[in-house]
Amino acid sequence: MINELLASTPDRGTLHISRLAGTREVPLAEVWRLSGLVAAGLRARGLGAGDRIGILGANSLEWVVLDLAALRSKVETAGLEPGKFMPTRELMRRYGLSLLFTDRPCDEPGVEQLGTLLDDLTDLTGAAQPAPATYAPDEVTTIKFTSGSTGTPKGLGATIGSVDSSLNAVQDMFGHGPGDNLLVFLPLSLLQQRYWVYSALRYGHDVTVCTYEAAFAALTQVRPTVVMGVPGFFEGARSQIERRARRTGLDLAEVARDLFGDRIRYLWTGSAPADPATLAFFNRLGLPIYEGYGLNETCIVAKNHPAAHREGSVGRVLPGKQVIVDDDGVIHVRAEHPVNRRYAYCEPGDSERVFGPDGTVRTGDLGYLDPDGFLFILGRADDTIVLDNGKKVIVRQIEEHLKASPAIAECVLYCPAQTELVAVVSPASAPADTAAISAQLTATNRALSGDQYIHRVVVADEPFSIDNGLLTSQYKPRRKQIRARYLREIGDPRKGIHAA
Amino acid sequence: MAKPCAAGGVPADIEAAARENLAAVLTFDVAPADLASDVDLTGTYGLTSLNKVLFLTSLCRDTGVDIARLTEDDLAGMHTLRDCVDILSPHLPAGT
Repeated sequence: MINELLASTPDRGTLHISRLAGTREVPLAEVWRLSGLVAAGLRARGLGAGDRIGILGANSLEWVVLDLAALRSKVETAGLEPGKFMPTRELMRRYGLSLLFTDRPCDEPGVEQLGTLLDDLTDLTGAAQPAPATYAPDEVTTIKFTSGSTGTPKGLGATIGSVDSSLNAVQDMFGHGPGDNLLVFLPLSLLQQRYWVYSALRYGHDVTVCTYEAAFAALTQVRPTVVMGVPGFFEGARSQIERRARRTGLDLAEVARDLFGDRIRYLWTGSAPADPATLAFFNRLGLPIYEGYGLNETCIVAKNHPAAHREGSVGRVLPGKQVIVDDDGVIHVRAEHPVNRRYAYCEPGDSERVFGPDGTVRTGDLGYLDPDGFLFILGRADDTIVLDNGKKVIVRQIEEHLKASPAIAECVLYCPAQTELVAVVSPASAPADTAAISAQLTATNRALSGDQYIHRVVVADEPFSIDNGLLTSQYKPRRKQIRARYLREIGDPRKGIHAA
Repeated sequence: MAKPCAAGGVPADIEAAARENLAAVLTFDVAPADLASDVDLTGTYGLTSLNKVLFLTSLCRDTGVDIARLTEDDLAGMHTLRDCVDILSPHLPAGT
Protein backbone atom coordinates (compact mmCIF):
# COMPACT_ATOMS: atom_id res chain seq x y z
CA MET A 1 0.00 0.00 0.00
CA ILE A 2 2.79 2.44 0.93
CA ASN A 3 4.72 1.60 -2.25
CA GLU A 4 1.57 2.20 -4.32
CA LEU A 5 1.00 5.48 -2.49
CA LEU A 6 4.55 6.58 -3.27
CA ALA A 7 4.27 5.62 -6.93
CA SER A 8 1.47 8.00 -7.85
CA THR A 9 0.49 11.63 -7.40
CA PRO A 10 -2.84 12.12 -5.62
CA ASP A 11 -5.44 13.69 -7.88
CA ARG A 12 -8.24 14.21 -5.40
CA GLY A 13 -8.88 14.67 -1.73
CA THR A 14 -8.13 17.59 0.58
CA LEU A 15 -6.16 18.04 3.75
CA HIS A 16 -8.02 20.27 6.20
CA ILE A 17 -5.78 21.81 8.82
CA SER A 18 -7.82 23.04 11.77
CA ARG A 19 -6.71 25.29 14.56
CA LEU A 20 -8.88 27.34 16.88
CA ALA A 21 -8.46 30.28 14.50
CA GLY A 22 -10.08 28.34 11.69
CA THR A 23 -9.59 25.70 9.03
CA ARG A 24 -7.27 25.85 6.04
CA GLU A 25 -7.85 23.57 3.08
CA VAL A 26 -4.92 22.25 1.06
CA PRO A 27 -5.53 19.86 -1.84
CA LEU A 28 -3.64 16.61 -1.34
CA ALA A 29 -1.96 17.18 -4.71
CA GLU A 30 -0.47 20.37 -3.28
CA VAL A 31 0.56 18.59 -0.07
CA TRP A 32 2.28 16.06 -2.31
CA ARG A 33 4.03 18.79 -4.31
CA LEU A 34 5.24 20.50 -1.13
CA SER A 35 6.50 17.22 0.27
CA GLY A 36 8.50 16.71 -2.94
CA LEU A 37 10.17 20.09 -2.49
CA VAL A 38 10.96 19.38 1.15
CA ALA A 39 12.31 15.97 0.09
CA ALA A 40 14.58 17.78 -2.36
CA GLY A 41 15.72 19.98 0.51
CA LEU A 42 16.50 16.94 2.66
CA ARG A 43 18.38 15.41 -0.23
CA ALA A 44 20.35 18.63 -0.78
CA ARG A 45 21.46 18.41 2.83
CA GLY A 46 22.80 14.94 2.27
CA LEU A 47 19.96 13.08 3.97
CA GLY A 48 18.68 9.83 2.55
CA ALA A 49 18.17 6.16 3.31
CA GLY A 50 19.70 5.25 6.64
CA ASP A 51 19.30 8.73 8.13
CA ARG A 52 16.76 9.70 10.73
CA ILE A 53 15.08 12.99 11.60
CA GLY A 54 12.96 13.88 14.63
CA ILE A 55 9.64 15.75 14.51
CA LEU A 56 8.54 17.28 17.79
CA GLY A 57 5.54 19.54 17.45
CA ALA A 58 1.80 19.99 17.57
CA ASN A 59 -0.24 18.77 14.61
CA SER A 60 0.24 21.04 11.61
CA LEU A 61 0.55 21.17 7.82
CA GLU A 62 4.34 21.25 8.23
CA TRP A 63 4.23 18.01 10.26
CA VAL A 64 2.30 16.25 7.52
CA VAL A 65 4.52 17.56 4.72
CA LEU A 66 7.79 16.74 6.49
CA ASP A 67 6.62 13.22 7.33
CA LEU A 68 5.71 12.60 3.70
CA ALA A 69 8.98 14.11 2.50
CA ALA A 70 10.87 11.74 4.76
CA LEU A 71 8.79 8.78 3.61
CA ARG A 72 9.50 9.68 -0.01
CA SER A 73 13.22 10.02 0.75
CA LYS A 74 13.50 6.82 2.80
CA VAL A 75 14.60 8.96 5.71
CA GLU A 76 13.34 7.47 8.97
CA THR A 77 11.27 9.67 11.24
CA ALA A 78 11.01 9.70 15.00
CA GLY A 79 7.62 11.10 16.01
CA LEU A 80 8.20 12.85 19.33
CA GLU A 81 5.24 13.93 21.41
CA PRO A 82 5.41 17.47 22.76
CA GLY A 83 5.35 17.43 26.55
CA LYS A 84 6.93 14.02 26.64
CA PHE A 85 10.16 15.14 24.98
CA MET A 86 12.16 18.37 24.92
CA PRO A 87 14.14 19.48 21.85
CA THR A 88 17.73 19.07 22.99
CA ARG A 89 21.05 17.87 21.62
CA GLU A 90 20.85 15.02 24.11
CA LEU A 91 17.55 13.89 22.56
CA MET A 92 19.18 13.99 19.11
CA ARG A 93 22.15 12.00 20.34
CA ARG A 94 20.00 9.45 22.16
CA TYR A 95 17.92 8.63 19.11
CA GLY A 96 20.53 9.19 16.40
CA LEU A 97 18.77 12.15 14.80
CA SER A 98 20.53 14.00 11.99
CA LEU A 99 18.08 16.89 12.34
CA LEU A 100 15.28 17.70 14.74
CA PHE A 101 12.32 19.82 13.66
CA THR A 102 10.26 21.39 16.41
CA ASP A 103 7.70 24.10 17.05
CA ARG A 104 9.12 24.68 20.54
CA PRO A 105 11.54 27.56 21.15
CA CYS A 106 15.04 26.18 20.73
CA ASP A 107 18.29 27.47 19.27
CA GLU A 108 20.48 24.42 19.68
CA PRO A 109 22.51 23.42 16.61
CA GLY A 110 20.78 20.84 14.47
CA VAL A 111 17.37 21.82 15.77
CA GLU A 112 15.21 23.56 13.18
CA GLN A 113 11.92 25.36 13.42
CA LEU A 114 9.07 23.29 11.99
CA GLY A 115 6.98 26.43 11.46
CA THR A 116 9.34 27.81 8.82
CA LEU A 117 9.68 24.54 6.91
CA LEU A 118 7.58 25.77 4.00
CA ASP A 119 8.86 29.36 3.97
CA ASP A 120 12.09 28.76 2.09
CA LEU A 121 11.04 26.49 -0.73
CA THR A 122 11.46 29.07 -3.49
CA ASP A 123 15.00 27.94 -4.24
CA LEU A 124 13.77 24.41 -4.63
CA THR A 125 10.84 25.00 -6.95
CA GLY A 126 12.94 23.87 -9.90
CA ALA A 127 14.15 20.79 -8.08
CA ALA A 128 13.03 17.45 -9.43
CA GLN A 129 10.39 15.61 -7.48
CA PRO A 130 11.97 12.54 -5.95
CA ALA A 131 11.81 9.27 -7.83
CA PRO A 132 9.21 6.97 -6.25
CA ALA A 133 10.77 5.21 -3.30
CA THR A 134 10.07 1.54 -2.79
CA TYR A 135 10.26 -0.32 0.47
CA ALA A 136 10.71 -3.95 1.35
CA PRO A 137 8.23 -5.23 3.95
CA ASP A 138 10.84 -5.48 6.69
CA GLU A 139 12.26 -1.98 6.20
CA VAL A 140 11.70 0.43 9.06
CA THR A 141 10.13 3.78 8.22
CA THR A 142 9.66 5.35 11.64
CA ILE A 143 10.44 4.99 15.31
CA LYS A 144 7.44 4.99 17.59
CA PHE A 145 7.64 5.44 21.31
CA THR A 146 5.85 3.59 24.03
CA SER A 147 5.85 3.90 27.80
CA GLY A 148 8.62 1.95 29.46
CA SER A 149 8.74 0.21 32.81
CA THR A 150 11.00 2.94 34.12
CA GLY A 151 8.93 5.74 32.67
CA THR A 152 11.55 6.32 29.95
CA PRO A 153 9.85 5.81 26.59
CA LYS A 154 10.92 2.73 24.69
CA GLY A 155 11.61 3.17 20.99
CA LEU A 156 10.35 0.70 18.43
CA GLY A 157 11.05 0.70 14.70
CA ALA A 158 7.88 0.15 12.68
CA THR A 159 8.24 -1.88 9.49
CA ILE A 160 6.50 -0.99 6.25
CA GLY A 161 4.99 -4.48 6.17
CA SER A 162 3.16 -3.84 9.45
CA VAL A 163 1.89 -0.47 8.21
CA ASP A 164 0.71 -2.01 4.94
CA SER A 165 -1.07 -4.92 6.52
CA SER A 166 -2.93 -2.70 9.00
CA LEU A 167 -3.98 -0.16 6.38
CA ASN A 168 -5.10 -2.83 3.93
CA ALA A 169 -7.19 -4.50 6.62
CA VAL A 170 -8.75 -1.20 7.69
CA GLN A 171 -9.62 -0.38 4.10
CA ASP A 172 -11.29 -3.77 3.65
CA MET A 173 -13.35 -3.19 6.79
CA PHE A 174 -14.37 0.44 6.34
CA GLY A 175 -13.98 1.23 2.64
CA HIS A 176 -12.79 4.83 3.07
CA GLY A 177 -13.07 6.79 -0.15
CA PRO A 178 -14.15 10.02 -1.83
CA GLY A 179 -16.79 11.75 0.28
CA ASP A 180 -15.15 10.66 3.51
CA ASN A 181 -13.35 13.07 5.80
CA LEU A 182 -11.44 11.46 8.68
CA LEU A 183 -10.80 13.73 11.67
CA VAL A 184 -7.48 13.31 13.48
CA PHE A 185 -6.77 15.32 16.62
CA LEU A 186 -4.48 12.95 18.50
CA PRO A 187 -0.79 13.72 18.02
CA LEU A 188 0.73 12.86 14.67
CA SER A 189 3.71 11.59 16.65
CA LEU A 190 1.54 8.48 17.05
CA LEU A 191 2.08 6.51 13.86
CA GLN A 192 -1.52 5.34 13.70
CA GLN A 193 -2.73 8.94 13.39
CA ARG A 194 -0.53 9.34 10.32
CA TYR A 195 -2.19 6.27 8.83
CA TRP A 196 -5.23 8.39 8.03
CA VAL A 197 -3.13 10.82 5.99
CA TYR A 198 -1.61 7.90 4.09
CA SER A 199 -5.09 6.47 3.61
CA ALA A 200 -6.33 9.79 2.20
CA LEU A 201 -3.45 9.93 -0.29
CA ARG A 202 -4.04 6.37 -1.39
CA TYR A 203 -7.81 6.20 -1.44
CA GLY A 204 -8.72 9.78 -2.38
CA HIS A 205 -10.68 10.89 0.66
CA ASP A 206 -10.31 14.02 2.78
CA VAL A 207 -8.56 14.10 6.11
CA THR A 208 -8.69 16.76 8.81
CA VAL A 209 -5.69 17.20 11.05
CA CYS A 210 -6.21 19.49 14.00
CA THR A 211 -4.69 20.46 17.29
CA TYR A 212 -6.41 18.80 20.21
CA GLU A 213 -7.54 22.26 21.36
CA ALA A 214 -9.53 22.61 18.15
CA ALA A 215 -11.01 19.10 18.16
CA PHE A 216 -14.56 20.00 19.09
CA ALA A 217 -14.60 23.21 17.09
CA ALA A 218 -13.39 21.30 14.02
CA LEU A 219 -16.25 18.83 14.29
CA THR A 220 -18.80 21.45 13.37
CA GLN A 221 -16.51 23.30 10.96
CA VAL A 222 -15.44 20.40 8.75
CA ARG A 223 -18.31 17.95 9.37
CA PRO A 224 -16.15 14.79 9.28
CA THR A 225 -17.53 11.39 8.42
CA VAL A 226 -15.18 9.54 10.78
CA VAL A 227 -13.70 10.64 14.11
CA MET A 228 -10.62 8.93 15.49
CA GLY A 229 -10.61 9.25 19.28
CA VAL A 230 -9.57 7.68 22.53
CA PRO A 231 -12.32 6.48 24.91
CA GLY A 232 -11.87 9.53 27.15
CA PHE A 233 -12.85 11.79 24.25
CA PHE A 234 -16.08 9.95 23.59
CA GLU A 235 -16.90 9.71 27.29
CA GLY A 236 -16.50 13.47 27.63
CA ALA A 237 -18.67 14.00 24.58
CA ARG A 238 -21.36 11.67 25.93
CA SER A 239 -21.48 13.49 29.24
CA GLN A 240 -21.75 16.80 27.43
CA ILE A 241 -24.54 15.55 25.15
CA GLU A 242 -26.55 14.15 28.07
CA ARG A 243 -26.27 17.32 30.12
CA ARG A 244 -27.05 19.61 27.20
CA ALA A 245 -30.08 17.53 26.31
CA ARG A 246 -31.31 17.73 29.91
CA ARG A 247 -30.78 21.46 29.98
CA THR A 248 -32.33 22.30 26.63
CA GLY A 249 -35.01 19.63 26.45
CA LEU A 250 -33.73 18.70 22.99
CA ASP A 251 -33.55 15.14 21.76
CA LEU A 252 -30.23 13.35 22.52
CA ALA A 253 -29.69 12.49 18.87
CA GLU A 254 -30.21 16.11 17.88
CA VAL A 255 -27.70 17.34 20.46
CA ALA A 256 -25.20 14.67 19.35
CA ARG A 257 -25.62 15.73 15.74
CA ASP A 258 -25.02 19.29 16.81
CA LEU A 259 -21.73 18.33 18.45
CA PHE A 260 -20.39 15.86 15.89
CA GLY A 261 -21.85 17.36 12.73
CA ASP A 262 -24.39 15.76 10.46
CA ARG A 263 -22.20 13.51 8.32
CA ILE A 264 -20.80 10.95 10.78
CA ARG A 265 -20.51 7.51 9.23
CA TYR A 266 -18.83 5.96 12.25
CA LEU A 267 -16.61 6.70 15.27
CA TRP A 268 -13.34 4.88 15.84
CA THR A 269 -11.96 4.15 19.29
CA GLY A 270 -9.19 2.08 20.81
CA SER A 271 -5.93 2.43 22.78
CA ALA A 272 -7.71 1.89 26.11
CA PRO A 273 -10.79 0.01 27.27
CA ALA A 274 -13.98 1.90 26.44
CA ASP A 275 -16.93 2.08 28.80
CA PRO A 276 -19.58 -0.27 27.35
CA ALA A 277 -22.28 2.22 28.36
CA THR A 278 -20.61 4.90 26.24
CA LEU A 279 -20.39 2.58 23.24
CA ALA A 280 -24.06 1.66 23.65
CA PHE A 281 -24.98 5.34 23.99
CA PHE A 282 -23.49 6.33 20.64
CA ASN A 283 -24.80 3.25 18.89
CA ARG A 284 -28.31 4.05 20.14
CA LEU A 285 -28.03 7.58 18.75
CA GLY A 286 -27.19 6.32 15.29
CA LEU A 287 -23.48 7.13 15.61
CA PRO A 288 -21.92 3.68 15.28
CA ILE A 289 -18.77 3.40 17.34
CA TYR A 290 -16.28 0.62 16.75
CA GLU A 291 -13.81 -0.45 19.39
CA GLY A 292 -10.60 -2.21 18.52
CA TYR A 293 -7.52 -3.55 20.16
CA GLY A 294 -3.82 -3.20 19.57
CA LEU A 295 -0.55 -2.16 21.12
CA ASN A 296 2.34 -0.17 19.76
CA GLU A 297 4.18 -3.48 19.51
CA THR A 298 1.45 -5.20 17.49
CA CYS A 299 -0.33 -2.39 15.64
CA ILE A 300 -4.06 -3.11 15.13
CA VAL A 301 -4.87 -6.67 16.21
CA ALA A 302 -8.67 -6.73 16.20
CA LYS A 303 -11.41 -4.31 15.23
CA ASN A 304 -15.16 -4.23 15.22
CA HIS A 305 -16.58 -2.90 11.98
CA PRO A 306 -19.92 -2.61 10.21
CA ALA A 307 -19.87 -6.16 8.82
CA ALA A 308 -18.63 -7.87 12.01
CA HIS A 309 -19.48 -6.27 15.31
CA ARG A 310 -20.11 -7.93 18.65
CA GLU A 311 -20.94 -5.93 21.73
CA GLY A 312 -18.36 -6.22 24.51
CA SER A 313 -15.70 -7.50 22.15
CA VAL A 314 -12.90 -5.64 20.38
CA GLY A 315 -13.78 -7.33 17.13
CA ARG A 316 -12.39 -10.13 15.05
CA VAL A 317 -8.66 -10.60 14.61
CA LEU A 318 -7.32 -8.92 11.46
CA PRO A 319 -6.00 -10.94 8.51
CA GLY A 320 -2.28 -11.52 8.94
CA LYS A 321 -2.56 -11.52 12.73
CA GLN A 322 -2.97 -14.49 15.02
CA VAL A 323 -4.07 -14.33 18.66
CA ILE A 324 -2.89 -17.06 21.00
CA VAL A 325 -4.25 -17.17 24.54
CA ASP A 326 -1.86 -19.00 26.86
CA ASP A 327 -2.72 -21.19 29.84
CA ASP A 328 -2.76 -18.14 32.11
CA GLY A 329 -5.24 -16.39 29.85
CA VAL A 330 -2.65 -13.92 28.57
CA ILE A 331 -2.99 -12.79 24.96
CA HIS A 332 -0.02 -13.26 22.62
CA VAL A 333 -0.03 -11.84 19.10
CA ARG A 334 1.82 -13.30 16.14
CA ALA A 335 1.92 -11.33 12.89
CA GLU A 336 2.72 -12.17 9.31
CA HIS A 337 4.41 -8.76 9.17
CA PRO A 338 5.47 -7.90 12.72
CA VAL A 339 5.94 -4.27 13.72
CA ASN A 340 9.37 -5.44 14.83
CA ARG A 341 11.02 -8.25 16.77
CA ARG A 342 12.57 -6.11 19.48
CA TYR A 343 12.79 -2.54 20.73
CA ALA A 344 15.39 -0.26 19.22
CA TYR A 345 15.71 1.67 22.49
CA CYS A 346 14.89 0.19 25.88
CA GLU A 347 16.24 -0.96 29.20
CA PRO A 348 18.02 -4.31 29.28
CA GLY A 349 15.52 -7.15 29.33
CA ASP A 350 12.55 -5.09 28.05
CA SER A 351 12.62 -6.66 24.58
CA GLU A 352 12.88 -10.19 25.92
CA ARG A 353 9.93 -9.60 28.27
CA VAL A 354 7.65 -8.58 25.39
CA PHE A 355 8.94 -10.24 22.22
CA GLY A 356 9.27 -13.99 21.77
CA PRO A 357 12.09 -15.40 19.64
CA ASP A 358 9.83 -15.43 16.55
CA GLY A 359 8.54 -11.89 17.19
CA THR A 360 5.34 -13.01 18.92
CA VAL A 361 4.27 -10.27 21.32
CA ARG A 362 3.23 -11.01 24.89
CA THR A 363 0.63 -8.30 25.40
CA GLY A 364 0.16 -8.63 29.15
CA ASP A 365 -3.60 -8.41 28.60
CA LEU A 366 -5.98 -11.14 29.65
CA GLY A 367 -8.66 -12.22 27.22
CA TYR A 368 -10.36 -14.88 25.18
CA LEU A 369 -11.70 -15.58 21.72
CA ASP A 370 -15.34 -16.60 21.42
CA PRO A 371 -16.38 -19.41 19.04
CA ASP A 372 -16.97 -16.89 16.25
CA GLY A 373 -13.50 -15.41 16.56
CA PHE A 374 -14.38 -12.20 18.41
CA LEU A 375 -11.74 -11.14 20.90
CA PHE A 376 -12.74 -10.11 24.41
CA ILE A 377 -10.32 -8.29 26.73
CA LEU A 378 -10.64 -9.00 30.45
CA GLY A 379 -7.95 -6.76 31.93
CA ARG A 380 -4.25 -6.59 32.60
CA ALA A 381 -2.16 -9.51 33.70
CA ASP A 382 0.43 -7.30 35.33
CA ASP A 383 0.32 -4.18 37.40
CA THR A 384 -0.20 -1.69 34.59
CA ILE A 385 -2.84 1.00 34.54
CA VAL A 386 -3.94 2.03 31.08
CA LEU A 387 -5.00 5.66 31.20
CA ASP A 388 -7.92 6.89 29.13
CA ASN A 389 -5.49 8.55 26.75
CA GLY A 390 -4.03 5.13 25.97
CA LYS A 391 -0.79 5.65 27.86
CA LYS A 392 0.37 2.99 30.26
CA VAL A 393 1.61 3.54 33.75
CA ILE A 394 3.41 0.81 35.67
CA VAL A 395 2.18 1.30 39.22
CA ARG A 396 4.86 -0.65 41.08
CA GLN A 397 7.61 1.91 40.58
CA ILE A 398 5.37 4.79 41.70
CA GLU A 399 4.09 2.94 44.74
CA GLU A 400 7.59 2.02 45.77
CA HIS A 401 8.70 5.62 45.50
CA LEU A 402 5.85 6.80 47.70
CA LYS A 403 6.60 4.09 50.24
CA ALA A 404 10.11 5.48 50.66
CA SER A 405 8.58 7.84 53.22
CA PRO A 406 8.65 6.55 56.80
CA ALA A 407 5.17 8.05 57.19
CA ILE A 408 3.75 5.61 54.59
CA ALA A 409 3.40 1.92 55.41
CA GLU A 410 1.70 0.85 52.20
CA CYS A 411 0.07 2.41 49.22
CA VAL A 412 -1.89 1.44 46.13
CA LEU A 413 -2.56 3.45 43.02
CA TYR A 414 -5.83 3.85 41.12
CA CYS A 415 -7.02 5.77 38.10
CA PRO A 416 -10.62 6.71 38.91
CA ALA A 417 -11.10 9.14 36.05
CA GLN A 418 -9.40 9.39 32.71
CA THR A 419 -5.77 10.29 33.45
CA GLU A 420 -6.00 11.11 37.16
CA LEU A 421 -3.84 8.90 39.36
CA VAL A 422 -4.88 8.68 42.99
CA ALA A 423 -2.97 6.83 45.71
CA VAL A 424 -4.57 5.35 48.81
CA VAL A 425 -2.00 5.38 51.57
CA SER A 426 -1.87 3.30 54.70
CA PRO A 427 -0.26 5.58 57.28
CA ALA A 428 2.65 4.28 59.31
CA SER A 429 1.41 6.10 62.38
CA ALA A 430 -1.81 7.05 64.06
CA PRO A 431 -2.68 9.79 63.68
CA ALA A 432 -1.20 9.94 60.22
CA ASP A 433 1.62 12.36 59.62
CA THR A 434 -0.11 14.19 56.79
CA ALA A 435 2.64 16.78 56.45
CA ALA A 436 5.21 14.06 55.78
CA ILE A 437 2.86 12.26 53.38
CA SER A 438 2.26 15.50 51.51
CA ALA A 439 6.01 16.12 51.30
CA GLN A 440 6.53 12.63 49.92
CA LEU A 441 3.80 13.20 47.32
CA THR A 442 5.66 16.30 46.16
CA ALA A 443 8.99 14.44 46.12
CA THR A 444 7.56 11.51 44.15
CA ASN A 445 5.92 13.76 41.60
CA ARG A 446 9.20 15.62 41.14
CA ALA A 447 11.14 12.40 40.72
CA LEU A 448 8.79 10.71 38.24
CA SER A 449 7.66 11.86 34.83
CA GLY A 450 4.53 13.13 33.06
CA ASP A 451 1.95 10.37 33.02
CA GLN A 452 3.12 9.10 36.41
CA TYR A 453 1.90 12.28 38.09
CA ILE A 454 -0.16 11.53 41.21
CA HIS A 455 -2.96 14.04 41.58
CA ARG A 456 -4.06 13.12 45.10
CA VAL A 457 -3.36 10.91 48.06
CA VAL A 458 -6.21 9.54 50.11
CA VAL A 459 -5.01 8.68 53.60
CA ALA A 460 -6.72 5.57 54.96
CA ASP A 461 -8.50 6.20 58.24
CA GLU A 462 -6.82 3.14 59.70
CA PRO A 463 -3.69 1.29 58.58
CA PHE A 464 -4.24 -1.64 56.21
CA SER A 465 -4.18 -4.91 58.16
CA ILE A 466 -5.05 -8.57 57.78
CA ASP A 467 -7.74 -8.06 60.40
CA ASN A 468 -9.51 -5.30 58.52
CA GLY A 469 -9.26 -7.29 55.32
CA LEU A 470 -7.02 -4.84 53.47
CA LEU A 471 -3.86 -6.99 53.52
CA THR A 472 -3.43 -10.57 52.38
CA SER A 473 -1.93 -13.15 54.67
CA GLN A 474 1.37 -12.37 52.94
CA TYR A 475 0.91 -8.72 53.95
CA LYS A 476 0.26 -7.58 50.40
CA PRO A 477 -2.37 -4.88 49.85
CA ARG A 478 -5.69 -6.20 48.58
CA ARG A 479 -6.37 -3.77 45.77
CA LYS A 480 -10.01 -4.58 45.15
CA GLN A 481 -10.93 -4.40 48.83
CA ILE A 482 -9.06 -1.13 49.33
CA ARG A 483 -10.78 0.34 46.31
CA ALA A 484 -14.17 -0.77 47.61
CA ARG A 485 -13.50 0.68 51.06
CA TYR A 486 -12.33 4.08 49.76
CA LEU A 487 -14.35 4.27 46.55
CA ARG A 488 -15.97 7.59 47.44
CA GLU A 489 -12.72 9.30 48.39
CA ILE A 490 -10.90 7.93 45.34
CA GLY A 491 -13.60 9.18 43.01
CA ASP A 492 -14.09 12.64 44.50
CA PRO A 493 -11.42 15.08 43.28
CA ARG A 494 -12.02 17.28 46.31
CA LYS A 495 -10.95 14.60 48.80
CA GLY A 496 -7.46 13.82 50.03
CA ILE A 497 -4.11 15.55 49.91
CA HIS A 498 -3.63 17.29 46.59
CA ALA A 499 -0.38 17.51 44.72
CA ALA A 500 1.28 20.89 45.16
CA MET B 1 -30.15 47.48 28.41
CA ALA B 2 -26.83 46.27 29.82
CA LYS B 3 -26.85 42.85 31.41
CA PRO B 4 -26.12 42.64 35.18
CA CYS B 5 -22.44 42.34 36.02
CA ALA B 6 -20.73 40.10 38.53
CA ALA B 7 -17.83 41.39 40.57
CA GLY B 8 -15.00 42.83 38.46
CA GLY B 9 -17.23 44.03 35.62
CA VAL B 10 -17.66 40.57 34.12
CA PRO B 11 -21.18 40.04 32.73
CA ALA B 12 -23.10 37.78 35.09
CA ASP B 13 -24.25 35.64 32.16
CA ILE B 14 -20.76 34.52 31.20
CA GLU B 15 -19.87 33.77 34.81
CA ALA B 16 -22.99 31.64 35.17
CA ALA B 17 -22.47 29.97 31.82
CA ALA B 18 -18.86 29.18 32.72
CA ARG B 19 -19.90 27.57 35.99
CA GLU B 20 -22.64 25.56 34.33
CA ASN B 21 -20.43 24.33 31.50
CA LEU B 22 -17.57 23.47 33.84
CA ALA B 23 -19.85 21.48 36.12
CA ALA B 24 -21.08 19.65 33.02
CA VAL B 25 -17.66 18.25 32.12
CA LEU B 26 -16.41 17.33 35.59
CA THR B 27 -16.42 13.68 36.51
CA PHE B 28 -18.24 14.24 39.81
CA ASP B 29 -21.51 15.91 40.67
CA VAL B 30 -21.14 19.48 41.82
CA ALA B 31 -23.52 22.41 41.81
CA PRO B 32 -22.29 25.19 39.51
CA ALA B 33 -22.55 27.70 42.35
CA ASP B 34 -20.22 25.61 44.51
CA LEU B 35 -17.31 25.83 42.08
CA ALA B 36 -14.50 28.05 43.28
CA SER B 37 -13.28 30.78 40.94
CA ASP B 38 -9.59 30.70 41.75
CA VAL B 39 -8.59 27.07 42.16
CA ASP B 40 -6.57 25.19 39.61
CA LEU B 41 -8.98 23.34 37.33
CA THR B 42 -6.62 20.44 36.72
CA GLY B 43 -5.17 20.01 40.19
CA THR B 44 -8.36 20.51 42.18
CA TYR B 45 -11.15 19.44 39.87
CA GLY B 46 -9.25 16.85 37.87
CA LEU B 47 -10.15 18.58 34.57
CA THR B 48 -8.40 16.76 31.73
CA SER B 49 -7.04 18.64 28.74
CA LEU B 50 -9.72 17.26 26.43
CA ASN B 51 -12.53 18.06 28.85
CA LYS B 52 -11.11 21.56 29.18
CA VAL B 53 -11.43 21.90 25.41
CA LEU B 54 -14.97 20.54 25.54
CA PHE B 55 -15.83 22.97 28.33
CA LEU B 56 -14.47 25.98 26.48
CA THR B 57 -15.98 25.01 23.17
CA SER B 58 -19.43 24.74 24.70
CA LEU B 59 -18.93 27.89 26.78
CA CYS B 60 -18.05 29.84 23.62
CA ARG B 61 -21.10 28.49 21.94
CA ASP B 62 -23.43 29.37 24.82
CA THR B 63 -22.05 32.89 25.16
CA GLY B 64 -21.79 33.63 21.46
CA VAL B 65 -18.01 34.01 21.59
CA ASP B 66 -16.40 33.12 18.27
CA ILE B 67 -13.87 30.45 19.30
CA ALA B 68 -11.75 31.46 16.32
CA ARG B 69 -10.84 34.60 18.26
CA LEU B 70 -9.00 32.48 20.80
CA THR B 71 -5.60 30.93 20.32
CA GLU B 72 -4.12 27.69 21.56
CA ASP B 73 -2.01 29.90 23.89
CA ASP B 74 -5.18 31.44 25.33
CA LEU B 75 -6.36 27.98 26.27
CA ALA B 76 -3.04 27.13 27.82
CA GLY B 77 -3.36 30.27 29.98
CA MET B 78 -6.74 29.28 31.40
CA HIS B 79 -5.90 27.66 34.72
CA THR B 80 -8.88 28.75 36.80
CA LEU B 81 -12.53 29.51 36.22
CA ARG B 82 -11.73 33.20 36.64
CA ASP B 83 -9.01 32.96 33.95
CA CYS B 84 -11.55 31.50 31.54
CA VAL B 85 -14.09 34.23 32.19
CA ASP B 86 -11.48 36.98 32.00
CA ILE B 87 -10.04 35.74 28.71
CA LEU B 88 -13.43 35.20 27.08
CA SER B 89 -15.12 38.40 28.29
CA PRO B 90 -13.45 40.80 25.84
CA HIS B 91 -14.69 38.63 22.98
CA LEU B 92 -18.36 38.66 23.96
CA PRO B 93 -20.60 39.82 21.12
CA ALA B 94 -21.52 43.51 21.23
CA GLY B 95 -24.54 44.19 23.39
CA THR B 96 -23.91 41.23 25.66
